[in-house]
Amino acid sequence: MAIITATKTPDRAAPLGERSVIGWIHKNLFSSWFNAILTLLTGYLVFITVTGVFNWGFTDATFVAENRRACYDNSLTGACWAGVIDWLDNIFYGRYPRDQIWRINVGAVLLVLWMAPLWMGRVKGKVLVGTGVVVFYPFLAGYLFSGGDKGLFMQVMVSGAIVALIANTANMLTGVLWGEFLPDFVLRVLGKSTAPDKTQRNILLALLFVVFTAVFVWQLSWTVEFVSWTKWGGLFLTMVISGIGIASSLPGGILLALGRRSKLTVVRVLCVAFIEVFRSVPLITVLFMATTMFPLFMPEGFVLNKLVQVIIAVILFNACYMAETVRAGLQAIPKGQYEAAHTIGLGYWRTTGLIIMPQALKHMIPNIVGSFIGLLKDTTLVSIIGLFDILGMLRSISKDMPWLGLHKEPLIFGAFLFFVLCFSMSKYSRHLEVKLSAGDQH
Amino acid sequence: MQRRTRIVTFAAMGAVAIMGATVASAQSTLDIVKERGHLRCQVGPPSAGYYNLDSDGNWYGLDVSVCQAVAAAIFGDITKMEIQSVSSQARFTALANGESDMLSRTATHTLTRDTQLGIDFLSPNFYDGQGFTVRRDSGITSALELKGAKVCVTTGTTTELNLTDFSRTNELGISNVTFEDYNVRDDTYLNGGCDAVTGDKSSMAGNIASFPVPAEHMILPETLSKEPLASAVRHGDNQWADIVRWSIFALINAEELGITQANVEEMRGSSKDPNVLRMLGAEGNLNEGLGLKKDWAYNIIKSVGNYGEIYEAYMGHGELGIGIDRAGSLNALWTNGGLMYSPPMR
Amino acid sequence: MTDAVPQTETNRARPKESFDFFHDERVRSVFYQLLTAGTFGWLIWYLISNTAHNLDVRGMKTGFGFLSTSAGFDVDFKLINHTPGVGTYGRIFLLGALNTLFVSFLAILISTGLGFFIGVLRLSNNWLVSKVALAFVEIFRNTPLLIQIVFWYIGVFSLLPAVKKTIDLSLGAEMMLLNNRGLYLATPIMGGLFWLTLVALGAALVVVVMLRRRARKLQERTGQQIKTLVPSLALMFLLPSAVFVLTGMPLSWDMPTLQGFNFAGGTSVPPAFLALLVSLSIYHAAQIAEAVRAGILSVNKGQHEAALSIGLKPGRIMSMVVIPQAMPAVVPPMISQWMNTVKNSSLAVAIGYADIVSLFMQTTLNQIGHAVELVGMTMAFYMFISLSISGLLNIYNKRVQLVER
Repeated sequence: MAIITATKTPDRAAPLGERSVIGWIHKNLFSSWFNAILTLLTGYLVFITVTGVFNWGFTDATFVAENRRACYDNSLTGACWAGVIDWLDNIFYGRYPRDQIWRINVGAVLLVLWMAPLWMGRVKGKVLVGTGVVVFYPFLAGYLFSGGDKGLFMQVMVSGAIVALIANTANMLTGVLWGEFLPDFVLRVLGKSTAPDKTQRNILLALLFVVFTAVFVWQLSWTVEFVSWTKWGGLFLTMVISGIGIASSLPGGILLALGRRSKLTVVRVLCVAFIEVFRSVPLITVLFMATTMFPLFMPEGFVLNKLVQVIIAVILFNACYMAETVRAGLQAIPKGQYEAAHTIGLGYWRTTGLIIMPQALKHMIPNIVGSFIGLLKDTTLVSIIGLFDILGMLRSISKDMPWLGLHKEPLIFGAFLFFVLCFSMSKYSRHLEVKLSAGDQH
Repeated sequence: MQRRTRIVTFAAMGAVAIMGATVASAQSTLDIVKERGHLRCQVGPPSAGYYNLDSDGNWYGLDVSVCQAVAAAIFGDITKMEIQSVSSQARFTALANGESDMLSRTATHTLTRDTQLGIDFLSPNFYDGQGFTVRRDSGITSALELKGAKVCVTTGTTTELNLTDFSRTNELGISNVTFEDYNVRDDTYLNGGCDAVTGDKSSMAGNIASFPVPAEHMILPETLSKEPLASAVRHGDNQWADIVRWSIFALINAEELGITQANVEEMRGSSKDPNVLRMLGAEGNLNEGLGLKKDWAYNIIKSVGNYGEIYEAYMGHGELGIGIDRAGSLNALWTNGGLMYSPPMR
Repeated sequence: MTDAVPQTETNRARPKESFDFFHDERVRSVFYQLLTAGTFGWLIWYLISNTAHNLDVRGMKTGFGFLSTSAGFDVDFKLINHTPGVGTYGRIFLLGALNTLFVSFLAILISTGLGFFIGVLRLSNNWLVSKVALAFVEIFRNTPLLIQIVFWYIGVFSLLPAVKKTIDLSLGAEMMLLNNRGLYLATPIMGGLFWLTLVALGAALVVVVMLRRRARKLQERTGQQIKTLVPSLALMFLLPSAVFVLTGMPLSWDMPTLQGFNFAGGTSVPPAFLALLVSLSIYHAAQIAEAVRAGILSVNKGQHEAALSIGLKPGRIMSMVVIPQAMPAVVPPMISQWMNTVKNSSLAVAIGYADIVSLFMQTTLNQIGHAVELVGMTMAFYMFISLSISGLLNIYNKRVQLVER
């Protein structure tokens, strides 16, 4: 016997707990008497904290004032944001000449422009884009930030960087518009898509040469004013130190990690010792070492400036941490990959460079972002040894006569700024992690 | 075969590169500075009165003016100078290593520092002394009443040593509460975290001015220590030491002779006083011994003013000054009973 | 590194060719190693000779003689005695090292406990609680520790009351007093026979442990449960108190009392210490909380469900089923956080807590120079501590690996 009805039974409504607001509250906040107490207590604490912070930082706060005295006159219990606002240029750009600040902004915009293709699905040749950023951007930015007369080397490198930037942007356009790799596009337009490889290469090289020459001649016509490193500061300096730190510690870390896995005893022992020494001491001692001992290591008359000392210290320190990240990445590569590479006759360097590293690096990207966040936070330590990074600037506000003694507000502002930067980056790295590991499961 | 050669070549190139960096430094500091085109002058992390940053990123303060004076003496242009701010741990090594040409910061001249650190101190440009700040309502009027008190002090300086000595000498049993940053020190004091603050009287005067209610606090009359704050140069280059020393003396001498930033032009042209004429280079050849141009002292006064003007601007009651009275203090001219005294310039 | 072509193959191919010195794998291996060792040795020699020359030219003094000269400054937080003008710089080193270890040790204890607590809260089914825990973790993980330390330092002062309004944490007994000058603790002074009480406590402890062991064995054998908690607690409390009363209560307290400006007596802890302790604990608790959360999530969900199905209560599921299985994933990152705690305690230099960096690399360096020696000694100290902790980690890893097999 079968029970068959012609009409569909109407859907039963979802249980109360699943659909109504009250149901949600009941389920997530008041499911038991213990939970209810917990909710009320936590809610109370949150309420007190939020209202306290809001009153101090907003309701009672002073945003426009001539000096700290004027802030006091306005309110004794609120924050004095006016000082922070007055110092915003210092906080972001340091002592950089005010009429030259556009150079830092341009540098930042160029970096974004340069790296943007990495996030665009249709753009081809991402490895080249990435390499271009790492190899050429430092020269362009370095000249843009420090300025002065370009030597021949700088002229060549700056021209190269500009050419790379042009090519990169063109590649982005062809990628977005037609989903084509720039060289393919050029050849197609010239009608040489089917020409032999050698002809194609010659055409492209000739084109590159023409563009390079044009750029080279053009860049001879301008220079930018010299700005000494002592004028670098604020968030800009923090970014420069951590940017150089992360970019240079990556190759350093790779070498150290390979050394640590090497079969050559001497190499391995030295690498292990180096890594372990720097990983076992705090960054601040390395920075003190850099500022007090590096100069003694140098030959007489050879002077390293403070910024270089600090950057070297940061690189040494971070490379050792990076080495461990790389090592973890290498360990994740199955042994079969090495064996397969040997089978097709690749030597050590080619196995590492062509087979192992690309796979390992892909897995390491989230960790690299993670260590960049770590480095960004650690860079605040350079203020202890007297550089005017963002924290150094924030702490200097309290010594400027008009704002004498104003130090809580700058710190809170700094903490907020760091939170925004680091939190968004760590969210992004988590997103990457998910995306990359999803890619593996095909 | 090829590979080996390449490696050897690289190694050799590396060695040459590093050796090549071994620049002989028999050059005198003056030559190095001239060749570089600017003076590198070392100050410390911002400190009210001495060296501060304003919101446009420019340095100002007493010690900064001294740097500018030396730049003016050499180049006739105070912009040909780069201020380097160095933390207290690295200040002496940075000078000894040649990262900076001179030190113009609140460094107390002591015997140990003069003899063990590879640097030479010059004549002081500010005489400070350590004192105490207390709350007026505490009823304390003398430092000797601070029995068993907690005193806030910044760490790693002679200030801390002096406090300990003072407490031992007078059997006060003072407990030190140490701080790295004097703002935090002052905050702690304001919140009642200690009964008194000790520090250089100069900076404390400025700090009191920044308290919510300055009238509630006072500086006790006792002075614990001698703090001659002097410039310093690298050990071993006497000509350079002379240049810095006499640039500072020129500031003091100018005040004594009544030369100011405003009247220096006129004085050089029309003064009858041979001392003035000699100093400003209108007569004689005082510059030769220093290896500077004839108008070196004129340039100093023209660009930064005399000592009194600088003092008034940053230490005294100028707009950016921290408000310490000069009259009756050690920093008055010797003619007014102070210690500011320049040897004769002749 | 050389081409890792299997040895036998090369050997087989070789007899036909003439012996190619530069392409022989072993020769190349030796050559690279010699080259590395040579370059390294040369670099070291180069640096040392430069340093010696520079020190000489600048007339800077060297040597470790300064360790036995007396240091003229006092230290506001010390675990061993130091008299200014008498104690040597060697003693200052010891003082700084002990202070670093002390604050790190406490911070590790607190941050581990707090980290577990917050890590579990993160997974709470109470929405508000888990979100607050999330906010806590994200805020403290994403701002620089240095800013946090300085902030807590100022924050602690703004929040704590002045001396006249001291908070009594011991609820009226005046044994733990907190105000903006620090924390004051009553110090116990042990009388002549107090050791007997301690012996009694020890004996009670041993008995309790034996009791519990027997109870567990019984449960494993027969399934019968004996309640041991109440008798254990009673024994541990009653036996020592009985001995304590019988020996005539040989314990008195050195109480902190307000005298003049300050509290005298007892032990006082400076605010810089408290600020450093709080900031280190919270910062690392946030990091450990993440490790704990990840560890708990790595435990198969089936374990939780299985435990539920046999009727365990949620609290017990956590403590008896989930956390023990999460431990292998939690411990390595946790130990590396411990290591970071020790290293990060060096940021004390920013707020003037007398740790080794602040005392040795700052104050001492400022007084007497000797940069090379001071930096070297401080770094060696940290290396020793870090290597000891990572030794601990290695032992743990080995044990876990063995268990898994």
